Amino acid sequence: MIGKKIAAFFFSMFLLSMAVFSVARLAPGDALISYYGDRAERMTAEERVWAEEKLGLRDSLLVQYVRWLENGLKGDFGISYKYKTGVLQVIGNRMENTLLLGGTGFLLIFLGALGLGSICALTENGWMDRWICRVGTISSCIPEFWMALVAILVFAVNLGWLPSSGAYDIGKSEDVPNRILHLILPLSVVVVQHVWYYAYMVRNQLLKELGAEYVLLAKSKGLRKGKILCRHCFPNMIPSYLSLMAISIPHILGGTYLVEAVFSYPGLGTLAYESARYHDYNLLMALCLLSGFVVILCNLAAQMINEKIDPRMKEQTYG
Amino acid sequence: MDNGFVLAGIRPLPAPRCEKETWYKGRPVLSFCLFFLIAAGCLFCEAFIPKDPTFMDFYHANTAPNSEFWFGTDTMGRDIFSMIWYGGRISLLIGLLGAGISAFIGILLGAISGLGPEWLDGLLMRFTELFLSIPNLLLVLLLQAFLGEADVWSLSFVIGVTSWTNIAKVVRTEVRQLRGCEYVIAARCAGAGFFRIVFIHLLPNFFASILFMAVMNIRSAVSAEAALSFLGLGLPLEVISWGSMLSLSEQAFLSGLWWLILIPGVFLIMTLLCITNIGNYIRKGKSQTVSPQSPHLR
Repeated sequence: MIGKKIAAFFFSMFLLSMAVFSVARLAPGDALISYYGDRAERMTAEERVWAEEKLGLRDSLLVQYVRWLENGLKGDFGISYKYKTGVLQVIGNRMENTLLLGGTGFLLIFLGALGLGSICALTENGWMDRWICRVGTISSCIPEFWMALVAILVFAVNLGWLPSSGAYDIGKSEDVPNRILHLILPLSVVVVQHVWYYAYMVRNQLLKELGAEYVLLAKSKGLRKGKILCRHCFPNMIPSYLSLMAISIPHILGGTYLVEAVFSYPGLGTLAYESARYHDYNLLMALCLLSGFVVILCNLAAQMINEKIDPRMKEQTYG
Repeated sequence: MDNGFVLAGIRPLPAPRCEKETWYKGRPVLSFCLFFLIAAGCLFCEAFIPKDPTFMDFYHANTAPNSEFWFGTDTMGRDIFSMIWYGGRISLLIGLLGAGISAFIGILLGAISGLGPEWLDGLLMRFTELFLSIPNLLLVLLLQAFLGEADVWSLSFVIGVTSWTNIAKVVRTEVRQLRGCEYVIAARCAGAGFFRIVFIHLLPNFFASILFMAVMNIRSAVSAEAALSFLGLGLPLEVISWGSMLSLSEQAFLSGLWWLILIPGVFLIMTLLCITNIGNYIRKGKSQTVSPQSPHLR
């Protein structure tokens, strides 16, 4: 069973790499630009031929792909045109920031949604429940980048409480409070944007649980509502919630990327944005692969959790 | 009274309140009207906008909202009130086009996967999962970077190509359920081709279940356009849309021009909210007609 999973994982990664590579090569546009940037346009014909030979762009697509894959497996994704260093090195420098923002955000969303969802479920159809759902609908319609813009406008420009960009002030990279100060705005935008949807999911799941008969039994034993929720409902709900959260990682990751780009927070999202803007293709390809890797891994985890909960899922092939 | 039962009294019940069935109950009338208003306003904007939206009046650049410029002017002196309506046209067009393209691809791939042989189905579903796995934004960035300078068509194409997965999955499931039906077999016997079966015979049957998603795709396409143009990867500044209007935000921060950010954003959000409400209404209507009316399952 595990072997099959691993095989599926590698197959997915293989397909992904193929997709990324073919998009990069087949798309209209000069492949040389990805290596030489604007200089490619000023090259003479002989120089072009020489450069194409040297980079192997004259070989067939398949040969090129195999070579790219081989180098990639060795950890060599080429050179970032903008940063003039190895792609992996550039990514490595930014990784921790994204992990910090994304990880903390994810944790807060996870816990916040659990809390909000429980409040909603306990006060079903009460004013609190209705308001939380309503705010959720509205905030799900607010584009992330706009929320980030308004947050900057209010808290950074008008009130001047919080810094509007970066991960730390210059020369204060070791200063923890300073870093936290820079994290507050992007983090709150990420959390506020996503928490409602998951809270709504938790609410519906909990309501389903609360209608079950074991809850009636617990009630008739005289247990308090909070205790029923914590002791009896949560354990039943958490696994499916976990798998939901694992599936939703690409969504949250995409959101984090966008928010990073707005706040020019030095993470992978800003990097992806810059590399798209400045046509730094090697970097962009590596970033796509990396994000895909993380997400496929998470999907795998979700699938495994699901199968643990419900063994029937194993037989189900697709859908 | 000799059978042992005693009538002890009648429990007074409150008179059953007869709720008048109003036609608007449970329908997002406000959203419909608002959306219609915005869409009509954008479509026929030439009739009422006071200024030429592309005219750069540098003398009046960065004016706050006043009686002449209702929503103020941007850093290049363009009148924001006119730009909103004029640019909304592009934003909504991209929304519709993007959703249309995604629906087409989704139906096509879903139907191939549902009607095709087992191995093709497996392969396509793997592919779909893969597509789902990459953050959408990153995919759009990748495609957009390689397609180069964006215009309305390429942007709709990119958005459409990256958002067909949910439709494909549902179409596949529906087609699998429907493909054994007599009328499909009959059509096949009569010599109908793949496209005829899918679009003439099957589509009307699963249309209701993908309509909700198609509407929601309009929403995500509009907001994707805004996000991309805002980042400077979508439409250039000269092509007016809600997103490209927001891309001036950087200057807005420096000089505190709040109306540059708030006004296009509010219009964008209103539109998205209306579309969401309409979409939710469609979903609710659908689940009422399809799910069995059994209290146990509710």
